[in-house]
Amino acid sequence: MMAPVGLAAVVEAAVRAVCDPEYPDLTIAELGIFESVRVDGAGGAHIELVPTVLACPALRTIEQDVVDAALGAGAASAEVVFLTSPRWSPARIDATTRAHLGREYTVAIRGLDGRIICPVCGGREAHQRAAFGPALCRETWWCDDCRNPVEVVREAVGRP
Amino acid sequence: MARSWSSMDEFEAFLDAGGMVEPNDDMPDAYRQEVFRFIEFHANSEYMGGLCERDWIPRAPGVDRKLGQMAKTQDEIGHAHLLYMVAADMGVKTRAQMLDDLFSGRTRFHNVFHYPTPTWADQVAIAFLVDAAALASQQAVFKNCSYGPYKRMLRRVIAEEGFHMRQGEEMLLRLATGTPMQHELFQAALDRWWMPALQLFGPPAKDNDLLLRWHIKSERNEDLRDRYVQKFAPLLVGYGFSLPDPTPVLDPDTGRWEMPDIDWRPLFATMKNEGPDSARRVGTARGAWEDTAWVRAALDRAAGSVEPAASAGTEAA
Repeated sequence: MMAPVGLAAVVEAAVRAVCDPEYPDLTIAELGIFESVRVDGAGGAHIELVPTVLACPALRTIEQDVVDAALGAGAASAEVVFLTSPRWSPARIDATTRAHLGREYTVAIRGLDGRIICPVCGGREAHQRAAFGPALCRETWWCDDCRNPVEVVREAVGRP
Repeated sequence: MARSWSSMDEFEAFLDAGGMVEPNDDMPDAYRQEVFRFIEFHANSEYMGGLCERDWIPRAPGVDRKLGQMAKTQDEIGHAHLLYMVAADMGVKTRAQMLDDLFSGRTRFHNVFHYPTPTWADQVAIAFLVDAAALASQQAVFKNCSYGPYKRMLRRVIAEEGFHMRQGEEMLLRLATGTPMQHELFQAALDRWWMPALQLFGPPAKDNDLLLRWHIKSERNEDLRDRYVQKFAPLLVGYGFSLPDPTPVLDPDTGRWEMPDIDWRPLFATMKNEGPDSARRVGTARGAWEDTAWVRAALDRAAGSVEPAASAGTEAA
């Protein structure tokens, strides 16, 4: 059975627009956490998400928000699956969102050379100070040019 | 580029016009000292708060709550680390000196971490009442903060504290709508935490408050406290709890909750590290630091080839 015309699109838009609990002005789509949504013939929404870190303590909150968004958009039921494949990586974050993370949160993403451009001063002299920061998905760095702390988004588990 | 100011008047005019001071600037020493003390106090508070959250990881009811406690512990310790970096960079004290002062009881941390937390409901009261008070005061600092690195950090801290508050609200609702025993448990915790939460904002501001004058704080302590009372008094009464002393009273004409005079002696005791649980808390923090010396030594050795020479004052010994 096919989903009612339009419902899938409405549910997908609502789910994509769910905001991240720790970046309240960024959506799970912008952060690359959203993977897919399928609406079945009974109007049930089946949502797949890719967590930044499997042990992320915000997963239950994100799940609840996504279920609420899908039901609010008219889905008859909603279920969320957190995928282990594909793995999340900072590459899933688009350029506009990267700029926003840098500007608003002083959060940077590694370049291909493993270094970062300081979001505060644009310098290339930032160095890692701790493998983790306040969140499991971020490292703590320090910029020697402008002397600001910078948090850097971690690659998937297995890479420091 | 380093900027400098020829006089304090010129510097204050810069601050009043919304100017932001950066670490490479040649800032007046009095400003440097004042900002440093404020950030050191915040760093100490995040650190002591993180240890308080950690204590409850094994005792929190259920896996989800344990995960929540772990997340909060990581948040607070991570915030402390970032704040100590920013503070140490100011060149007043090294991080090692700040920690030594904290463990020796020579420096201060937030009043709320000087009290015991005998039940899970205390933890809920902290997550709901105390975190909300801390968030309100951090937002007021962020709004108009003149020290660049601190303002940038507060942006992230506030986003994360907002998430804690939401968890606190869920936990409170669980107890508020639970069994009579759960309701009583939270009432008893509220009786213990209402006054410390109100005092977290600090005593009424003095007229010559340098923190206000130099745009480190943007609002007076009593204004923040009043807004907090107007929001939380009706909320707690609405959930069926009664407000302990100092009990605000609803003025039916104005719709405002009027506060009686507050006894500040408990706050002043915590500021001298003479609160009900101060000695144990400081001792626990010192013990945790000493017990984990071997971990830091191992990490330092492992990172030896990666870590470049630290710039002055940014690294602990």
